[in-house]
Amino acid sequence: MEKSIESIWNKGFLKSDALVAPKLNDLYNQKSIDIVEKFKRMYRLNVNGLVVFTAVFLPVTYFVQIPYMGIMLSVVFLSTAYAGSKFQKKLNAIDKTSDTYQYLQSFDKWTKEIVRWNEKRSRYMFSYVFISMAVGFWFGGIGGDIPGQDLMTELLRRYPDLAQVFGVPLVALLGAILIVILLSVFGPRIGKLDLNIVYGPILQRLERLLIEMEQLRA
Amino acid sequence: MSSDFYISSILPHAGIIIKICRAYTNSQEDFEDYYQEVCLQIWKSRNNFKEQSSWTTWIYRLALNVCLTLLKKDKKLKSRFNADYIPSEVADDTKEFEDEALNELYKAIRQLSEIDRAVILLYLEKNNYTEIANIIGTNPNNIGVRIKRIKERLKKLLDGKIN
Repeated sequence: MEKSIESIWNKGFLKSDALVAPKLNDLYNQKSIDIVEKFKRMYRLNVNGLVVFTAVFLPVTYFVQIPYMGIMLSVVFLSTAYAGSKFQKKLNAIDKTSDTYQYLQSFDKWTKEIVRWNEKRSRYMFSYVFISMAVGFWFGGIGGDIPGQDLMTELLRRYPDLAQVFGVPLVALLGAILIVILLSVFGPRIGKLDLNIVYGPILQRLERLLIEMEQLRA
Repeated sequence: MSSDFYISSILPHAGIIIKICRAYTNSQEDFEDYYQEVCLQIWKSRNNFKEQSSWTTWIYRLALNVCLTLLKKDKKLKSRFNADYIPSEVADDTKEFEDEALNELYKAIRQLSEIDRAVILLYLEKNNYTEIANIIGTNPNNIGVRIKRIKERLKKLLDGKIN
C-alpha cells in the first residue's frame, strides 16, 4: 500500500528508538587531538626544516665567499634546532592518557614555556644575527675580497681624518652598537611577533578551547 | 554546559535536533558529532536568544546553520584528502531507525540539496510556510511551490513507494 511522506515521517518517529539523544561525551576530544596533532606536525617540520636549511645554507655561504657569516648564522640555526628537539621531547612526553582538559592544560603549559624561552632568547638572538651579518660583511671571504678593508681604503681616501677604533670607523661602530642595543630591547617583541606569525592561529584556537572547557566545567 | 541547562532547555527539543542532524549525516559517528556540536552551539549562543521568535524556532534555525556549516567543512576536508570522495549523506550504508520506511525516506531526503532538506524537514515538522520562511530566511510565497517540487522529487527517489 502506498503511503505519503507525512505518514512515513509521523509513524516512523512514533517508535521508541527513533529519537534517542546521544550522550554528550567526548565533546572536545576530537578538537583537541586535531589542534595538538597539527601543532606537533608544524613544530616537527620547522625543527627538521632548520637542520636541512643549515645543511644547504653553510656550503652556499662558503661558495659565495661569506663563510664567517655562514658559520655564525648556522650556530643560531643549529642551536635553535637543538633546543627545539629538546622541547619536542618534552611535548611527546605529555601524558596522552590523561583526560582532555588535563592534556590540553599540559600542552598549554608547554607552549607557555616555549614562548618564555623564545622571548628570552630573542633578547640576544637578533643582536647576534646582526653582529654575524656585520662581521660577515666586514671580513668577507677566505682568500677573496675583504669588503671591510676595501671600504676603509675608500673612506680614508675621502675622509683622511676619520676617527677609527681597531680599524673600524667610530661612527659605524657607534651605529652598530646602537642597533645592537635596539635589537636587544625590542628583540623579545620581534620574537613574539615571529612566533605569532607561525603558531599564532593554532595557539589562539587552543586558548579558545581551554576557555570553553573551563566554562563547561564551571 | 551545565546539565541543568541541557536537561531543561535542550533535551525537550532533542527530537528536532536529532531529526535535523540525521538528515545531514550518514554515519552514527557523524550524527553524534553533529548533535553534540549543535548542543554546544545552543549553549554558547544562549545569550543571543532575544525572544523575537520562540525557543523552538530559534533551535531549528541554529541547528540547521550548524549542520550546514559542519557539512561544508566536512566536504572540504574529505575532498582535499580523497579525490574519490562521495558525500557521506549520499553514500548511505546505515539503518539508523527501526522503521524501514523512515530509513528509506531519510535516504531520499539526503539526496536533496542542503536547503531543500531543511525545507522538507521543517514542513514535515508541521511548521507553516511563514515559519519555514522565517527559519531559513526566504520569502513565504515561494515555500509552497518549493515543497510541492521537493515532494515530487522525493516520490521519484522513493520509486513510487509513496503517494
